[in-house]
Amino acid sequence: MIRQISVFVENQPGSMMRVTSVLTEAHVNIRAISTFDTPEFGIMRLVVDDPVQAKSSLTEKGFVTRVSTVIGAELKDEKGNLNQMLTLLADGQINVNYIYSFVIREGKAPVMVFSTDDYENAEKVLRDADVRLVEEDEL
Amino acid sequence: MIWAKEETLPRDEIEAIQLRKLGETVRYIYGRVKPYRDKMDAAGVKPEDIHTLDDLKKLPFTYKADFKDHYPDGLFAVDKKEIVRYHASSGTTGKPTVVGYTRNDLDMWLNNVARLACMGGATADDVAQISFGYGTFTGALGLHGGLEKIGASVIPMSSGNTNKQIMFLQDMEVTLLVATPSYALHLGEEIRRRGIDPSKDLKLHIGLFGGEGMTEPMRDEMHKVWGDQFVCTQNYGMSELCGPGVAGECTELCGMHVNEDWFIPEIIDPKTEEVLPPGERGELVVTCLGKEALPLVRYRTGDMTRLMYEPCKCGRTTCRMENISGRADDMLVIRGVNVFPTQIEEVLLKIDEIGPHYEILVERKNRLDVMTITVELIDDRLLDSYAQLGKLEERIKTALKSQLGLATQLRLVAPNSLQRFEGKAKRVTDLRKDGL
Repeated sequence: MIRQISVFVENQPGSMMRVTSVLTEAHVNIRAISTFDTPEFGIMRLVVDDPVQAKSSLTEKGFVTRVSTVIGAELKDEKGNLNQMLTLLADGQINVNYIYSFVIREGKAPVMVFSTDDYENAEKVLRDADVRLVEEDEL
Repeated sequence: MIWAKEETLPRDEIEAIQLRKLGETVRYIYGRVKPYRDKMDAAGVKPEDIHTLDDLKKLPFTYKADFKDHYPDGLFAVDKKEIVRYHASSGTTGKPTVVGYTRNDLDMWLNNVARLACMGGATADDVAQISFGYGTFTGALGLHGGLEKIGASVIPMSSGNTNKQIMFLQDMEVTLLVATPSYALHLGEEIRRRGIDPSKDLKLHIGLFGGEGMTEPMRDEMHKVWGDQFVCTQNYGMSELCGPGVAGECTELCGMHVNEDWFIPEIIDPKTEEVLPPGERGELVVTCLGKEALPLVRYRTGDMTRLMYEPCKCGRTTCRMENISGRADDMLVIRGVNVFPTQIEEVLLKIDEIGPHYEILVERKNRLDVMTITVELIDDRLLDSYAQLGKLEERIKTALKSQLGLATQLRLVAPNSLQRFEGKAKRVTDLRKDGL
């Protein structure tokens, strides 16, 4: 499992930049980012190399920031692999709250990051099917 | 038509009535209402010290806070079983301001409303649609009773449901509309949007407006929307004093005639509390005469106005008060509902997920008031899902609705985005200009 940070941002020019500039100053590396199209405010979700540092820098600058657990699953870059992973979760009756993706390093396969209320089962279902789960030290 | 002969008496006769009733009122409250007796004792004034109208200024003021301190009925002068009606309006905090009426009070009140309905041109031939919200608000039942007294046919429509409002205006051949001026403009524009020309297709020709002030630019708009035949006047009152019926405009449109045989108006400087000479602008202070259930002496209305004593062309000799031009305190009037920022603050401070800072923005959209409250989110636990943030928004809106009796818009922002103040905070921005 990996830790993700969620930051409350208002829907106005520059609000995401203010988050990334705090992280840049704190020498935190951003691995993945995700937001949704919402009318007034948004939750900006990030996977970073140092979530503890990211949370403390952002909180110090007055951002409402939360650290939470998500699952990162590395997929082979082949047709049908995302479908296969989602099939495993569906068969296990595991609900995915939201999902986004990133690539760890050059030459590596994509990582799907997703949130669920049922981490234990999700991990078990994926491990049993030999899906490789990414851990924090790899970020 | 002039409803009561007391509206046309020479000034010395009006003053003689006022002095007689003032003496009775002061003896009555001193004998029956402990908070008044305590205040008068503290000020060293006794009922027998009142010899002239000028002696009124010896008496202590009564404040809205007195209603809160003696909630719900500590200022009442009669036993509960003599009360035949209760009404209530906004308090400065969670508890409303409760008022009560004996049978005589109701009769006095509705006769005073009948006077202002006549001032605005109403007669027994009118069909009146009351588009004020009913409930504990005094406006709807006050105009309802006053118009029944003069023999008009009353339709207790209540507020909202524009389709039904328009259907009744057409089908019942309504001639008189009671509403807030902003709602009347909104309704008129809706009617025009449907291809109905009020000046040709409707019988409506009288508007009796209250609940909020009507500026002259609003009156001009009213004629554009409803037609030149539309005679619109406004009237003034507040539930503590009785509700509507304190003062009303006649069709000469030169101020609102105060029913001086029942109410003594004074104008004071709200800071020094000195009584100002006739014609000067200041805070209106009203003493009610002859009320049984809830007598009120020198009540600080918070409304800024001035009084004019020259007789009016309409034949009435009672003094006239100018359109209210502001507040001595921070009360807002939103869709005719009185709102105190302290009421909003009380709700917000009980919600842990948001910070203590807030801003209130008031605008007029599509002729109707819209109030937006901005608060800072401080609880990171809600960032797990949008649903949690949505639930927080709903919870705050529901709490505000139940406190204010009014729907509000809500904006969640990041911490420290709202301006901080070192001295007195300026939390309210009112973008309404001339009520438009």
